Amino acid sequence: MTTTITGFFTDTSVCIGCKACEVACKQWNQLPADGDFFSGRSYDNTIHLEATTWRHVAFVERGVSLSGQSTARPFSWLLMSDVCKHCERAGCLEACPTGAIVRTEFGSVYVQPDVCNGCGYCVVCCPFVVINRREDDGRAWKCTLCYDRQKEGMEPACAKTCPTDSITFGPLEELKEKAKKRLEELHRRGVTEAYLYGMNDEDQPGTEGLHAFFLLLDRPEAYNLPPAPSVPTRGVGGSWGAMALGLAGMVAVAVAASRAGGEKR
Amino acid sequence: MIHARKETTGREMGEEYAVLTGEAAGQRLKQAEPDAGGVVPLWHEVPSLPAQAGDYYGLALLKEPVWIWSVPAYFYVGGVAGGGAVLAAALHGKRPLRRLAAWCRVLAFLGTTVGPALLTYDLGRMSRFLNMLRVFRPSSPMSVGSWSLAGTGMVATLALLQGDRASAKPAHLATALGGLMVAGYTGVLLGNSANPLWQDRRRLLPLLFISSAVASTAGVLEMMPLDRKEEGVVQRFGVAGKAGEAACMLAMEHVHQSTPEAAVAMKKGKGGVLWQAAKVALVAGILVELVPGRSPTKRKISGALTTLGAVCLRFALLETGRTAAREPLAATRPQRRKMGW
Ligand code: SF4
Repeated sequence: MTTTITGFFTDTSVCIGCKACEVACKQWNQLPADGDFFSGRSYDNTIHLEATTWRHVAFVERGVSLSGQSTARPFSWLLMSDVCKHCERAGCLEACPTGAIVRTEFGSVYVQPDVCNGCGYCVVCCPFVVINRREDDGRAWKCTLCYDRQKEGMEPACAKTCPTDSITFGPLEELKEKAKKRLEELHRRGVTEAYLYGMNDEDQPGTEGLHAFFLLLDRPEAYNLPPAPSVPTRGVGGSWGAMALGLAGMVAVAVAASRAGGEKR
Repeated sequence: MIHARKETTGREMGEEYAVLTGEAAGQRLKQAEPDAGGVVPLWHEVPSLPAQAGDYYGLALLKEPVWIWSVPAYFYVGGVAGGGAVLAAALHGKRPLRRLAAWCRVLAFLGTTVGPALLTYDLGRMSRFLNMLRVFRPSSPMSVGSWSLAGTGMVATLALLQGDRASAKPAHLATALGGLMVAGYTGVLLGNSANPLWQDRRRLLPLLFISSAVASTAGVLEMMPLDRKEEGVVQRFGVAGKAGEAACMLAMEHVHQSTPEAAVAMKKGKGGVLWQAAKVALVAGILVELVPGRSPTKRKISGALTTLGAVCLRFALLETGRTAAREPLAATRPQRRKMGW
């Protein structure tokens, strides 16, 4: 049986910030609540993706106008539903020493909770602020791209619930076509700042493209996304090389030192 | 009925009405997030931050390392074990230095036995520590390191049992080989991360770890009773290590100039204090050694200072990494610079 590679295309230009995706994700996956608190950052009281939060809506509320929109005073909202990017080259997966993090038949990156031993290395290897280990559970958790639903032929809970179709789910290749069309349309309508984030290898060589990519209306930094993320294993050869060099030095020092005291019997 | 109440924490779900079967149903929780050890900033007043152009309300763009004290402690212990293993092999068969060689074997054995215990203590699920050897993933320095550590532990035990017999040579060489990996891989492990402070210094970190491993081993040996010959060996070994460590630390600071945003972490807070302490202890250790005249007390003081510096250095690396992860510009600015803005 062949399965197609699937993913998310999140078109932030139609996101209305309803957070239905956040709720649907929590509900479906039976994730624990995060308690009540107020962040003081626009309407974003979720703040970031976490072990317990696998969808997060960012709210950028600013006195700046966007092209293609007319407001009495300069003002705009940027809204974006963030999620694990299911990177083509995933830092978390390449770092996982237990093999708990795997690539599924749908091309997504999945943490097997029955294997993870909570070493915490994926946490420092994700170039986005996604996967985390929580002290009380001990294991690392993140979005599964609704692996359980996909196996039943259903779309992920967030995409299913999104009322404006800002989150779309489907075969990755189809999503890419759709995204390009949408970008063209927006450019035609004068929304010149729109661009696609992380769709292809060319857009984001560091991760070789994301399975959950975005259409954004401002620089990535505005949404707390890195402008040029890169999987840590890129260029780690230099690190191993430096290590080999250092070790050669260590052997030389040890041999030289042992000569110093032991030559005369 | 089936599930204990604590497993439903934060889920507001009556067990009579809902069955926990979701992907995250097994996620155990003691408390909902805001109380869970300050994972999320909890505001008691309303700061109402305006959005700025350069970042997202100053929120972190990377997760902080979650490792606890036992990981930097292991970095130190592993370094000592590696240095001990290499020196033991180099001293093998040198009769006048038999006692020193035996100590080195003990260091290699202890380090590779206590080390895994320290690492296990950090695991979120300690009972699953054997999963570290479930697969071999060459792309993960942690996987490479786990296998090296486990292998070295075994051969180090063998070498310890065989002692200084001539037939023990293979075991000694194998221990030395493993010890080299154990001393060096931790530097690659930190460099192979998304943390801006560590990533920018990925070529330097292995050298820092290795030279500090040499210095740490010498530091421990210096604190033991030694005769003239042994002292000569240990001091020669130590001088190279300490000089290397000092050079690497200087170079680590030099990288500051190309990534000032991440480098701030080395000056600020707990990490900054530890980094300074590591520098002071290392330099003090070298200075004490330079005092003319030969005395065991002098040597022991120098050894203790070197040890203190090496331990502080390992903790400083973790703490500065934490601080750097909290600063979003430390992650984005260097990327922009590479892109040519
Ligand atoms: S975004 Fe992070 S957690 Fe998700 S696949 Fe990429 S590296 Fe892994």
